[in-house]
Amino acid sequence: MNKPVNKSGNVRILASHAGARAIRQELSRRHFLSLAALAGAGVALSACGTGDGETSSAVEPGAGATGGPMEKSLSIYTWGDYDSPEVIDSFAKTGPKVTLDSYGSNEELISKLVAAEGTSGYDIVVPTGVYIPQLIENEIIVPLNKDLIPNMAKVDPKFLGQDWDPENEYSVCKCWGTTGFVYDTTLIKRDLVTWNDFIDAMQNEASGRTSLLDDPQGVAGLYFWANGIDWNTEDMADYDAYEAEAVEKWAPHIAGFDSYPATGAMQQNTFALMQNWNGDSRLGILEHKQPDRWKWVLPGPTTELWMDNWCIPTGAPHPEAAHAFLDYVLEPENSFLEMDYIGYNTGALGIEEMAAERKVELPEMIFFTDEQLATMKNGAVNEAQDRRTEVYDKLKAAASA
Amino acid sequence: MRDEAHSRRAAKRLPGFVLAVPAWLWLTVFFVVPFLQIAWFSLGEKPGMFGTHSNAVMSLDRYAEAFSPTFFTIFRATLWMSVLGTIACLLIALPAAYFMAMKVPAHRRGLLVALVMVPYWTSFLIRTIGWKVILSSEGALAGFLTDVGLVADPHDLLNTRGAVLLGLIYNYLPLMILPMYVAFDRVDSALGEASKDLGADRLRTFFQVTLPLARPGIIAGIILVFIPMMGDYVTPAVLGGAKGTMVGSLIASQFLTAQNWALGSAMAVVLILLTMLIVVIAIALMWCVGWLLHRRSKLVIGTVPPPDTRPHTQEVVTA
Amino acid sequence: MSRPSGTNLALGAWTTLVFLFLFAPIIVIGIYSFNGGRLLTAWDGFSLEPFKAIIERPTVRHTVAVSLQTAVIAALLACALGTLAGMATARFPGRWAGPFTLLLLLVSVTPEIVDGIALLPWFVTLGQDWSLLPFNNGYVRLVIGHSLFATAVVTYIVRARLVGLDASLEEASADLYARPVTTFFKVTLPLVGPAVLAGGLLAFTLSLDNTVISSFINVSGTTSWPVYVLSSVRSGLKPEIAAVSTILLVLTLLVLGLVALVLKRSGSSVTDTMAVN
Repeated sequence: MNKPVNKSGNVRILASHAGARAIRQELSRRHFLSLAALAGAGVALSACGTGDGETSSAVEPGAGATGGPMEKSLSIYTWGDYDSPEVIDSFAKTGPKVTLDSYGSNEELISKLVAAEGTSGYDIVVPTGVYIPQLIENEIIVPLNKDLIPNMAKVDPKFLGQDWDPENEYSVCKCWGTTGFVYDTTLIKRDLVTWNDFIDAMQNEASGRTSLLDDPQGVAGLYFWANGIDWNTEDMADYDAYEAEAVEKWAPHIAGFDSYPATGAMQQNTFALMQNWNGDSRLGILEHKQPDRWKWVLPGPTTELWMDNWCIPTGAPHPEAAHAFLDYVLEPENSFLEMDYIGYNTGALGIEEMAAERKVELPEMIFFTDEQLATMKNGAVNEAQDRRTEVYDKLKAAASA
Repeated sequence: MRDEAHSRRAAKRLPGFVLAVPAWLWLTVFFVVPFLQIAWFSLGEKPGMFGTHSNAVMSLDRYAEAFSPTFFTIFRATLWMSVLGTIACLLIALPAAYFMAMKVPAHRRGLLVALVMVPYWTSFLIRTIGWKVILSSEGALAGFLTDVGLVADPHDLLNTRGAVLLGLIYNYLPLMILPMYVAFDRVDSALGEASKDLGADRLRTFFQVTLPLARPGIIAGIILVFIPMMGDYVTPAVLGGAKGTMVGSLIASQFLTAQNWALGSAMAVVLILLTMLIVVIAIALMWCVGWLLHRRSKLVIGTVPPPDTRPHTQEVVTA
Repeated sequence: MSRPSGTNLALGAWTTLVFLFLFAPIIVIGIYSFNGGRLLTAWDGFSLEPFKAIIERPTVRHTVAVSLQTAVIAALLACALGTLAGMATARFPGRWAGPFTLLLLLVSVTPEIVDGIALLPWFVTLGQDWSLLPFNNGYVRLVIGHSLFATAVVTYIVRARLVGLDASLEEASADLYARPVTTFFKVTLPLVGPAVLAGGLLAFTLSLDNTVISSFINVSGTTSWPVYVLSSVRSGLKPEIAAVSTILLVLTLLVLGLVALVLKRSGSSVTDTMAVN
């Protein structure tokens, strides 16, 4: 089973760079296909079947990176404008030419990696945590060669070992955030503290001017967080209760489903109450003409902790450069630049102190206390996903009426 | 001699449909084949949590799921919006296309046509954001409309059905203007002159000569606007907020969020069939109306001096 | 030939309004491209910073280049396929035309996301399993993906131009012993010229604006401009995105102005020029 690994290792020395790349792609692809065939997935297209058995040896660990010389290029597939150009440029000076490509949703990323069967040509991808089990199961990402990423030790352990990858075998934190809300204090004069307050204000002062996240999971979370139910519940009775409340009570008051309301619509004061991620709220408040008008709340009793993660896809053509980049970007100095650029915590040790020293604005919307962290829980893609989407569609239908 | 000309003409006629072969082949390879795959997916199911589609078990169950009340509620709204949007596009585009084709000096026409397209040479999201700023409660437009009393609350512009409609009209207007322009452009103005010479007044000339000649372009415009509107979902959602949910977003959420390609495919097939049915019925209706009008106008013209003027005048003019 | 009458004035005014409507959001974006703030729509003083940022950011420029190249090729391709098909449906209708029209209808009726989802595995099958290497190329994929609806559009418009116009000119040409090829270039093509121009412009525009299909089928190094814009929402859209549109707009208007000047000198119309070439 290890043969292809050795072979590709040899070939890389003998063949030209481009040739080695093609050969390795072909090898990992054949490997992939033969396994798919073994698993009984007849058509190549259905390679994203359920995948049976523990066949982790199928995936070339570290995509074959052994700490050899870096390849001449590196292809990163990530969210648009998500990385500090300074960091990318300074890494490029160490050798590889960096190509950045962007996607707008995790599903685009997954569809593409699944369909490409290990030939996507990307070296690094940045999926959100909840999708990682699926990527591992379908052998779309490979285990990292942690020997090549010593700077993983400089990541705060609080942000390692998340539910989706407890040992960080496949992924490491790129940045993380949480879900809270922002409201217009000129319109909502009372103090809102909890998700229940949010739901109440939505049906009163902010009726017709409330926006919810454009995300079935986040909207379901709103109900479950408010009512003290585990938001990863697979109990369908919980979803029935959620459907009843959302479709009947919430729908008439919702003005929009928007995942980025603060950096967009809020600038024109379109919404008065917005379910929002902390980074978007922070930027939105910082840039608003009257920042004092808005108040950010990290509501209780519980909420979410989501994380975008660095991963290496199967068949990555430049694994050495990919590992080198991960190590580079986890270096606290670079990690700080990344945090400063996008406004989400990158999880490096000591980054909060650096931010305080360099006077980063509104730090309380990037860094959270241990008590606050204790209220945040990872989400999961589970058996309830279909039902979640169904309720969300019904809510949208009711809100558009 | 005459025979030879005939055989020449026959030879010319023979490769007729051959001209369509490249497009046919192209669309077969890159559209029909992948599309059949989607149709195939729709007969399968979503296998477990982490799969998107599987045809291990074949059934029509996905269609049963696709025909849900939610789907039809949103489909009705989408259909209504698309019909309104198409009519609005037609009314807005008709005079403009007519003016561009008939009244503007020939050497300026091409430029105007290009100018129609220029605003669209940037990402749809940027244009939509432009509209969001214009329609925002802080904007000058909202202030003006509130002052005049047309709008009660400055917040009533965005996130409404009206905003959805505006977004649809804006995005698809060029697809109506251009085919119409092309159709009007071919109407020889001399033909209009002839009609006038024969005593028809201007309005009658427009309705009985110009408009019928431009009809294929108008139909093409309607098809090109109505159909993509039925599938659009991003712009309406950005401008219309919660009011802007279109049927396309249901399909997208199955393919994306739920990662249920089987159900998404089934919904897509239902949407495609329903839309095609509507288009076919509409074309049949238009054809009937056109036929009736044609019969009537023929009778009318028949009583006026020289009958059957159209083809003849044209030959005289073009020769 | 027609004196400025009341009707003509009204028509002209209406057309002006339509153009104002078309350009309204672009003008707003033009203003906001001089925004010195961090967010596109949060005005924070006049600044040329967004334009400087583009010069310093190769990623943005690259995505625009990808989009422009793809759009030109996709438009040419759609024009070639669509013009021929449109002429065939208008001039040589037969039993084949029914299914073909149905196919075109199906192409236009299919939502973009379905095209994207369907094309992606198909390209992988072609490029990887069957080793047809061009299909691994991002530009090839984008051009194909964008050409589908565009071909249908060009076909409709060309057909709408020709249908009902009688074929006497072409027949006359044939009678005068012109070879079919000559007839095609000297008679038919000039007749469809404006339709090809309009169809080509639409195809170019549709390609330039395509987001959904592109995001599914592009590969490393071929992220197109609209895909980049949409994906940047996560980190907050910056004024430089508006600046790119402004530059594109100004360049386009300059080119159009130049063309207008040349045409005014030579005294011919765009469509005439096209027909001669």
